[in-house]
Formats: sequence, C-alpha cells, structure tokens
Amino acid sequence: MNISNETKASMASSFWKGVVGVGLFALAHAAFSAAQHRSYMRLTEKENETLPIDIVLQTLLAFVMTCYGIVHIAGEFKDMDASSELKNKTFDTLTNHPSFYLFNHRGRVLFRSPEEVLSERNQQALPNPLRLRKLEH
Amino acid sequence: MASVSEMYDVGWEEMRDKLRKWREDNFRNSEQIVDVGEELICEHASKLGDDVWIIYEQVMIAALDCRRDDLALTCLQELRKQFPDSHRVKRLTGMRLEALERYEEANKHYDAILQEDPTNTAARKRKISILKAQGKSAEAIRELNEYLEHLCHYCCWKCQFILALFLETLCANILLYNFHSYGKAAFCLEELMMTNPHNHLYCEQYAEVKYTQGGLENLELSRKYFAQALRLNNRNMRALFGLYMSASHIAASPKVSAKVKKDNVKYAAWAASQINRAYKLAGRGTKENKCSVKAVEEMLESMQITMS
Repeated sequence: MNISNETKASMASSFWKGVVGVGLFALAHAAFSAAQHRSYMRLTEKENETLPIDIVLQTLLAFVMTCYGIVHIAGEFKDMDASSELKNKTFDTLTNHPSFYLFNHRGRVLFRSPEEVLSERNQQALPNPLRLRKLEH
Repeated sequence: MASVSEMYDVGWEEMRDKLRKWREDNFRNSEQIVDVGEELICEHASKLGDDVWIIYEQVMIAALDCRRDDLALTCLQELRKQFPDSHRVKRLTGMRLEALERYEEANKHYDAILQEDPTNTAARKRKISILKAQGKSAEAIRELNEYLEHLCHYCCWKCQFILALFLETLCANILLYNFHSYGKAAFCLEELMMTNPHNHLYCEQYAEVKYTQGGLENLELSRKYFAQALRLNNRNMRALFGLYMSASHIAASPKVSAKVKKDNVKYAAWAASQINRAYKLAGRGTKENKCSVKAVEEMLESMQITMS
C-alpha cells in the first residue's frame, strides 16, 4: 500500500498534536490533584507536609512532554547563521526584482511563432537585394 | 505534446507547490512557468481555490516573457473579471502594454493609477522601468533618486536597481570612459552592504566594481572584499576567481614592494588550488574528470597577468 508523503506528514503531525494534548491533560490533572491535596491537608491540619512525590513527578514529566511535542509541531527550524540561508541561492534568483521586470529582451524575438517569422521575412524581402548589390560594389 | 504531469509524473498539488516555490524565490524560468501554469489553470482551476488568482498573475508575467500574448490576455481577462477596480490588475494591464512596446498607453495607465492613489509604489516603479526600456537611463536614475527621497527608509532592492542602471549606463557610454558611473555604483553597493552585512553577493559585486575601476588601491580593496565574500560563503566560485585575478594583478604590478608581491602570489596560489579542488569535486565520478582538471589548470595559467 502506497502512502503519499502528505498523509505521512499529516499522520506524524497529528501524533505530535496528540502528545501535546496528553501532556497538557496530565499537567491539568497534576494541578487538580495538587489543589485537592492542599485542601485535604487543610482539613486534616497537617499543613507541614510537602506535595507527594508522584504529583511532582507527574508535573515535571507532563511539562517535558508538552515542550517536546510543541517543538515538533512548530515547524522548520532556521539556522542561527544569517548567511547560511543565502549559501544555496544563486545570482540568478537574488538579483531578480519582480517589480522592475523588463520585457524588451530577446525572448520576445526568440519565442516568435513560425507564422510570424514568415510574415516578417516576406515584408523584408524587397529591400535586401538592393543592399546586397551595394556591398558587391 | 505530452502534458507536464505525464512527463514528470506529478500531481496538481506538486505543480502548485512548485509554482509557489518559484514565486517566493523570484525565479524567472518563464518557459517552465508557462508550461506548468497553463496546464494547472486549464485543467485544475476549480481545485486551486483562491490560489488561482495569484497563479494567473504569475503565469501572465511569464507568458509576456515568452511572447505568449494569447495566454497573457486570457489570464488578464480572468483577473479583470474577478477584480474589476483593482490597481494591481491595472498595473498588469500596463505591463502587457509595455511588453507590446506601447509605452505611451502604458504610461497613461500608470498616470491614471497614480492620480487615484499617489502613494502607489508599484506604478511608480513601472514608470521607471518604462524609462529604462526606452533607453533613457539618465532620466530613470533621476526618477529613482526622487523616489528614494520620498521614502524615508532605504529598501535595498531600489538601491540595487540604481546600481544596475548605472552599470548599464556605463556599458552604453563605454566609449566615453564615463568612470563617474562606477563610483556611483560603488556607492550604491556600499549602502546595500551596510544594510545587509551577511549577503555575500553584495560584497562580491562591490569587489567586481572596484576591480573594474582599477588602480592599485582599488585592486587591494577588491581583493579584500572578494575574501570577505568567500568568508561569508565559501562556495562562491565568482569570488574565488575574483580573488585569484585581483591577487595576480597586484603581484604583477611594478609599483608594489617585494613583500606585498610575495603575499599576493601566495594568495593567488591558494585561490588556484581551491579552484582546482572545486572542479575536481564537481567532476567526481565522471570519465572526463582528468581532461577537465587539466583544462582548468591551463585556463588558470592563461589568466595570469603578465606585464608586456
């Protein structure tokens, strides 16, 4: 079965989107349980106890997972070196300025269709013999 | 004639993405754009959605380059139907008239746009291009200067265009040895280099202008800027050749001290070895590698400057 590049890419990005979603959910869950733990502590008057280690671990892991997932969704990274982008560009493309394009170049002549060439040649047929005779003398 | 999608086995999405890449990177490969774009708009116009209008514009300009006036007119009419009062479409109408060399009518079009909207930069730029197409370089330069004064900020591509105009005026005036223009071109490039210090092409063009101006100081300056261009991009072959030429030129000059001569011979030798290496790497795996390497060495030897 052939899967095109586009579906592969969209499958990959939905995986990372899922990762970010799971990470955010775990973060919210850890926050909720920390709040619950706090209110439980207040009820049982044991305010000196610190957060249980599993909530702390869950918070940290969820944070790392969310960051990692966002990095993958965020798109292509650019090089820090400002000149590296230009390394692969050539003179042809960097010196083009589309708003200043001119059209009086030889393309207008080179791409002439055969009928146009014939009609132009017929128009110029008469003067040429006279010019050639001058050169002979 | 086989269609593009058959010849290269691509679907319409890839053709659309290719056109976008060409548009973003300012490619002017008009024949290819016409081939790909024409097929895209004839057969897949409905699938393109809103992209189709910008593709019409791109194909129209490419068609003007390839003398496909029929295709250009079709695209223009579609755009006019969709955007009846748009200045952008009026500008395209003007460009078509320019391509047909009806400069007076095109000028009238642009003047009409500027009357309605005096800040329209696109129309002003086209008027300057008309002056250049008619060969009136001096007037075009004057107009560009006025235009630059109107704007408070320097946009690098306008400077670049002034530079191009100056260089072409120079070619036209070559018999009169109008050296003033090279100085102005160098000034433009200096401005460009100031605003874009990481762009190796401006360094290299500046070095070329200095090399053309000639004289020992300018040659040393050009060698330094060729080296700077290489530092920014070590794959720039023009800069490598430029370094070789300017270093050999300085070494061959009778006015330099022995130490400077020795240094420049060293630089030229380094540049020559880099050129040889680049050609060897490029020809890797081909049978003609040995012949081409020998040809490169002969070419380098023949380029050596000898005082006659």
